[in-house]
Amino acid sequence: MSGEAVLARGLTRRFGRFTAVDGIDLAVAPGEIFGFLGANGAGKTTAIRMLCGLLPPTSGEATVAGIPVGRRAVELKQRIGYMSQRFSLYEDLTVRENLEFFGGVYGLSRHRIAARVAALLPYLGLAGTENRLTASLPLGYKQRLALGCALLHEPRVVFLDEPTGGVDPLARRRFWDLIYEQAAAGVTIFVTTHYMDEAEYCGRVSIMVQGRIVALDTPAGLKATTGGRDMQDVFLRLVDR
Amino acid sequence: MGPLASLMRKEFLQLRRDHAMLRLVLVLPIVQLLVLSYALDNDLRNVRVSVLDEDRTPLSRGIADALWESDVFVPGPPLASGDDLARSLKVGRCDLAVRIPAGLARDVAGNRSAAIGVHVDGTNSSTGGRAAGYAEAAIARAATGRDGRVGAVRFFYNPELESRLYMVPGIIVMIATIVSAMLTGMAIVREKELGTLEQVLVTPLGSLQYVAGKSAPYALIALVDLALATGFAAVWFHVPLAGSPLVLLAGVLAYLAVTLSLGLIASVVSDTQQQAMFTVWFFLVFAIMLSGFFFPIENMPPWARVLTWLDPMRFFLAIVRGVLLRGAGFGDLARDLLVLAGMGAASFTGAVLAFRRATS
Repeated sequence: MSGEAVLARGLTRRFGRFTAVDGIDLAVAPGEIFGFLGANGAGKTTAIRMLCGLLPPTSGEATVAGIPVGRRAVELKQRIGYMSQRFSLYEDLTVRENLEFFGGVYGLSRHRIAARVAALLPYLGLAGTENRLTASLPLGYKQRLALGCALLHEPRVVFLDEPTGGVDPLARRRFWDLIYEQAAAGVTIFVTTHYMDEAEYCGRVSIMVQGRIVALDTPAGLKATTGGRDMQDVFLRLVDR
Repeated sequence: MGPLASLMRKEFLQLRRDHAMLRLVLVLPIVQLLVLSYALDNDLRNVRVSVLDEDRTPLSRGIADALWESDVFVPGPPLASGDDLARSLKVGRCDLAVRIPAGLARDVAGNRSAAIGVHVDGTNSSTGGRAAGYAEAAIARAATGRDGRVGAVRFFYNPELESRLYMVPGIIVMIATIVSAMLTGMAIVREKELGTLEQVLVTPLGSLQYVAGKSAPYALIALVDLALATGFAAVWFHVPLAGSPLVLLAGVLAYLAVTLSLGLIASVVSDTQQQAMFTVWFFLVFAIMLSGFFFPIENMPPWARVLTWLDPMRFFLAIVRGVLLRGAGFGDLARDLLVLAGMGAASFTGAVLAFRRATS
């Protein structure tokens, strides 16, 4: 069981009388791209925030990158990367300054930061933008920069909460190429999305409705059990039920 | 570069790019110091005195002249009758009216007691009372031909009793308070609003590092402001800077620990910058009013005097006035410095705990 990159057992979060996440169970293998789908308000972001140690669970437990969530928070944070659905880097810093800041707060040495930034800039397609203020970048660039800030410290598990919202298909494709490369290198990707074509790219997919996981399988397996033509159809059949 | 240094560097970079904020923070305090130092001058002058002279003797005219000769008084409109006197005071044509009754010269010559009426507009109790005192002394001198005072009074540290010397250090204290508490008051809640705080919270940065990193840049700005304001006070207003800069610096650092931390606490408990601003202002008004800046603490009722012990500004004001005007040293200000240092440690701890509680 300690082999799993993400493991949740009965993970639950209530806000007053509202249950946002209702006893979810899941297990994600290292290097897997796991699609965490659901309608707006289904509880995806709340679940991710619990898995990242940003929000304590009301009950249940979770282990991420071998660390029980809720204890050993510093160790957990060293091993995970997180990209929130709202762009949350500093717009008034340059690309390089953002990368250097996050490298610094993750405790990387000056030398290591320089090496990582030099490697990440071309990898992310950001070479030449390093001295531009982040505010002046197109959204697709900002999203790749946010991914870079989440990858800087070489985490084992990366949580991406709607990382490609609001950008054109080309920018999404470039982003997914990066995700594939990371997964191939052994990084576990835990990603939420509203784009059903993106769901097809995932190794396995869970679908959340009103705080519960109602289906969890490979895209092909889900299509077979629900009789859906494509992931869009699968999603609508499960969520509308 | 460690996590703390990275955070501080980031804060400085952001501050450097915020030109509007920099201008506000570095220029406004000097403007405030200049304007307020001239405006908050409560030296008594230009008090309008009208005289109702019913005696019309050389003595009575001498009394009127003696009043008007003083630096404090200027002549008000002449008065024709007692009714006129009452009306003039009421509508504010004069601030003080003196009624010299008929027969005064005769009574004084015959060594009989005489009553000169001094009518004062007491709307402002402090200036009214002081003006009456000056008037009484001037009248006594003119009527008896003698200086009525026994004993020689000498004023130390502010021999001219210039209120400006007393007010300028107070304004410096206020500037330091507002700049430091307001800036940190915005510091964390702004990151909450922008969503950047969440990205920082998934990093291993600890609460202590975060709070320290957030306060240090603003401490530096407050120090620059204080140095500018103190220099200005010395050069422009001739505030003596009698004491050791080290004593002042010790007081400043302890005080900034308090105000920066209280600002951060307000920032942690607020969801929007407006809330944080209101919270900071609410406490600033209390701090300023109870500090002894405008109203002497000795004049407050006992319960309010007890309350001033909770006011860090009270102790800082005592230190700044003590060092700048009286040349007080560590020994003279030991109590104030210790209390401030204790408050600084307590509020910084409070800020760290508040941040930890709010984010986990």
